Amino acid sequence: MRDEPDDNELEAQLRQVAARFDPVPAELIRTAVGAFTWRTIDAELAELVFDSVVDHDDAAVVRGTQQARLLSFRSSDLTIEVEVTATGSQRTLIGQLIPPRQAAIEIRHGDDVATLDADELGRFSAGPLHAGPISLRCGTDGAAAHRVVTDWVSI
Amino acid sequence: MADGTATAAIIAAADSWGHVSRIFVGVTGRGRRFPGAALGEDVAVDPGEAGRLAAAAAGGDMTAWTALVEGFSGLVWSAARGYRLSHADASDVYQTTWLRLAEHLGRIQNPERVGAWLATTARHESLRVARGAARLVLTDDPGTLDAGRADENSPEQAVLDTEKAALDKDRAQRLWRAFGTLPARCQKLLRVLIATPAPNYAEIAAALDMPVGSIGPTRGRCLKQLRQRLAGEVSGIV
Repeated sequence: MRDEPDDNELEAQLRQVAARFDPVPAELIRTAVGAFTWRTIDAELAELVFDSVVDHDDAAVVRGTQQARLLSFRSSDLTIEVEVTATGSQRTLIGQLIPPRQAAIEIRHGDDVATLDADELGRFSAGPLHAGPISLRCGTDGAAAHRVVTDWVSI
Repeated sequence: MADGTATAAIIAAADSWGHVSRIFVGVTGRGRRFPGAALGEDVAVDPGEAGRLAAAAAGGDMTAWTALVEGFSGLVWSAARGYRLSHADASDVYQTTWLRLAEHLGRIQNPERVGAWLATTARHESLRVARGAARLVLTDDPGTLDAGRADENSPEQAVLDTEKAALDKDRAQRLWRAFGTLPARCQKLLRVLIATPAPNYAEIAAALDMPVGSIGPTRGRCLKQLRQRLAGEVSGIV
């Protein structure tokens, strides 16, 4: 006659079952290991300080008939604002550097890097990109040459 | 208690899975992932060890980074799945969380709490994705935890199989199905709790934004409900 499992046993059985039916996909573990090579050593990190999806919903921008998501990344002397518009699994970005300045922008997404420029008013756009994690790198030239990289975020 | 069979199984799993797993070959016969763990337990990652690994990784040590990924992947994945994200969305959360850690390594205030840092980040990303960043996948029913892809050869399965007799398939499926009928609050807590390796309560609290003190009582209530569901299943009561 089989006794009913106690809490610890039941938890252990559940753990076994979860590992069997819902394990971490092996290919994801490999990409996480590989993520180490994406880390930036020579740039300042601009942290995500605002996301309209989790912060104030009424601050989201309406562009045409679609609501855009607003992200704001801040470093010590540069803020990067990004509006993200979604169509299915595609994303379009419109960005603004504050203070406005010309700069080279790299958008890291998936295994790709999209390179583009911000104009003299600090504006840039990119897309369509596939949904998923992205991070922006921003490099400005001149006497105060300086590189900034943003937090990774899922768009 | 020597258990050469278990060690051999770990080595075999490592060989089939690639060089990454070889780091964990040198563990106790019961297949635990980190040295110094007590025998007879599903063990959480030791915070002291986690702190050393985080500090080493911050200095550029790829082996230390790999050990962090191995030790905490279960927690990060479970947090995303506990929020009932689809496989694709949970994958995005998982990737974003690790990419973010890579950039933040040098700036985590308490490296021994890197597990809780990962859990908190996974929670924030899960909420982000759940609230509107989720890709539209028309076949997904957000109300159901989709089954995931069973991987009988996963490294986690290799470890668990060597530790105790595996549940027979029928029992395993009934248990997983009964788990899926629990209220969302219970699935969320239990899904994080049953990560492999087992997280500590601080990490669970971070993943769920709940006080450490309420984890135990909630766990008890949820497991009781699970038992009731299982009993109902056996007797034909739905």
